[in-house]
Amino acid sequence: MKLGEFLLVSIQVDMHDKLALALQQDLTDRIAATGARGVLMDISALEVVDSFIGRMLANTAAMSRVLDATTVVVGMRPAVAITLVELGLSLNGVRTALDVERGMQLLRAAVRQPWEEPDGDTPV
Amino acid sequence: MTGTQTLLTVALQRESDVVAARQRARELAGLLRFEPVEQTRIATAVSELARNAFLYAGGGLVSFSVEPEQREPALWVVVSDRGPGIANLKAVLSGTYQSSTGMGLGIIGAKRLMDAFQVDSRPGEGTTVRMAKMLPRGAASPDVPDIAAKLARHAPPSPLTEVEQQNRELLQTLSELKRRQEELSWLNRELTATNRGVVALYAELDDRAERLKRADEVKSRFLSYMSHEFRTPLISSQSLCRLLLEEDAGPLTEEQVKQVRLIQKSQQELLELVNDLLDLAKVEAGKTVLRPSAFRVADLFATMRGMFRAVVPGGRVLLRIDDSEELPEMFTDEQRLGQILRNLLSNALKFTERGEVRLWAEPVGGGARVAFYVQDSGIGIPVDEQERIFEEFSQVESAIQKRSKGTGLGLPLSRRLAALLGGGITVRSAPGEGSTFRVEVPARLGSGAAEVEVAAPAARPRDRKVLVIDDDEASRYLVNHALQGTRFQVLEAPDARVGIERACAERPDVIVLDLVMPGIDGMAAMEQLKRDHRTREIPVVIYTSGVLSSEQESQLGRHAALILRKGGSREELTDSIASLAGESGRSGERP
Repeated sequence: MKLGEFLLVSIQVDMHDKLALALQQDLTDRIAATGARGVLMDISALEVVDSFIGRMLANTAAMSRVLDATTVVVGMRPAVAITLVELGLSLNGVRTALDVERGMQLLRAAVRQPWEEPDGDTPV
Repeated sequence: MTGTQTLLTVALQRESDVVAARQRARELAGLLRFEPVEQTRIATAVSELARNAFLYAGGGLVSFSVEPEQREPALWVVVSDRGPGIANLKAVLSGTYQSSTGMGLGIIGAKRLMDAFQVDSRPGEGTTVRMAKMLPRGAASPDVPDIAAKLARHAPPSPLTEVEQQNRELLQTLSELKRRQEELSWLNRELTATNRGVVALYAELDDRAERLKRADEVKSRFLSYMSHEFRTPLISSQSLCRLLLEEDAGPLTEEQVKQVRLIQKSQQELLELVNDLLDLAKVEAGKTVLRPSAFRVADLFATMRGMFRAVVPGGRVLLRIDDSEELPEMFTDEQRLGQILRNLLSNALKFTERGEVRLWAEPVGGGARVAFYVQDSGIGIPVDEQERIFEEFSQVESAIQKRSKGTGLGLPLSRRLAALLGGGITVRSAPGEGSTFRVEVPARLGSGAAEVEVAAPAARPRDRKVLVIDDDEASRYLVNHALQGTRFQVLEAPDARVGIERACAERPDVIVLDLVMPGIDGMAAMEQLKRDHRTREIPVVIYTSGVLSSEQESQLGRHAALILRKGGSREELTDSIASLAGESGRSGERP
């Protein structure tokens, strides 16, 4: 879904690995096609984020950065966050926000200062 | 392990099964009252291991069980596969391993998430990972059967599974359809083959029929040809015998005369046989020409009587030919009819040793047809032979049969001739009780056949005209026929209107008028004829088959010169016409 210069991705189902890869592919294609500056990924529906999905999120963020777009992951459940850290996955390079509203603010800020390094903090 | 109760197993066959395994794991953890964080941990660990099993071993099995009896009850998850095993397990477990695919976090991550973790991996035999999570403290001992039932109820959760199930069913249906189609096409092939067979059979039958037909034609031609060729020398040798007997070339001794007479007799028999054959061949070839003529049955019977008087072996067998004066005049081929009756009579006489042979006739269907009966008190014919006797060259086996000569041609020929005359022959018989042959033919041969005989050559100039006004073609023909060989030329009119026109135009000497006709009837026609000055003087003969009332007669009598009944004799008609036209009777014999 396109919202101004941002792309809004809402993941509503538990994805198997190929579906996750397809999403990643699709998303990068859309960024290139629309010239979007920011991507907002809503994962509030995901109850489990394992190493593969986590890595997919991180990779997607890295790819969109290369394509000159900032990615913000929003709506991560606390249990998921705990598990991710325990797994040893810190989602480096992925900006996160608690909800969509904060995510949008973050994106707008990032677009205004495009060369600012992402801090990778996860505000839980 | 005592008290272990397996709650659930998930087979890892497709990628989506990895998702199913982690969803089921989370569900189960929820049912076992794990905290949400623990639920996510368990699900994530299961997801990691399930993915490993699927990715590296191509599939495996995840099973969940609990040990409620233990001091510290736990949820055990076992993920097993039959893959190649983990080559550098130690490195993986120590966390120093870096996968080439950037992975390698799976096992160590899962170990971190769970309370107990054991890996058993043998190269080439597969890997089994057992891991456990202590059940929440203070929670009531889980009701295992209840949980299992709930899990079963929630079973196939993913729409993908549904679709896959449907897909499998579709594939099954498809293969079933394919099988049916194969069956059908097989059936079709078989039917086609059968059809080809039937077509071939038909062609063969056609061929046979054609060959039979040809053979039949050849037979007829052969018969005809042979008969002709036989007849010529027969007739000349017969003439020679006659010459010999006339003793032109010198006197014969008594013995020689006897011998020559015997030769002559044999020749006669042979000639008859040949004639029969020839007739049969002609009938079959459709070459028989019918010569219908008007005659009375009584005359025909008189001829028969004369013919057989000499043949009947006096004494033991009596030939009775009834009078048949009451029968109407017939118009058909007298010669052929006579031939049929002759055949039947000679047959009857042949097969009757003593008793009586009787010939009589009676009208059928109000005189439209005539039935002739030939009854004998002879040996009779068994029912099953009764059709066969009409076949050529077949005869009933009997003692008499052996004694008497015959070709077996008489009956078939008779039947064919009767058919030619528009009728047929039937037989009623029983062995020992004699036989009755019944010939039924139309009293008048159909008009089509009547045209066969066109006109006998007129003996003398036909300078007088007779106009016949009658709607019945046969009646007109009869008058025409009766007047052949006289000076009268016959004009015909099929109804009164045409008749009056022709009368005015051609001024005939005599008019023969029928009474009952469609359109203008005879009575009205008569009135018209008498009113017109051109036709007033022409004498009119009323020629009718109806019975007239005295009133009608007196009315007609005013104008008609004569009233004649149809069915009267030929002479009556010709004489009447001749006298009315001023002629003196019949001017000559019929040719």
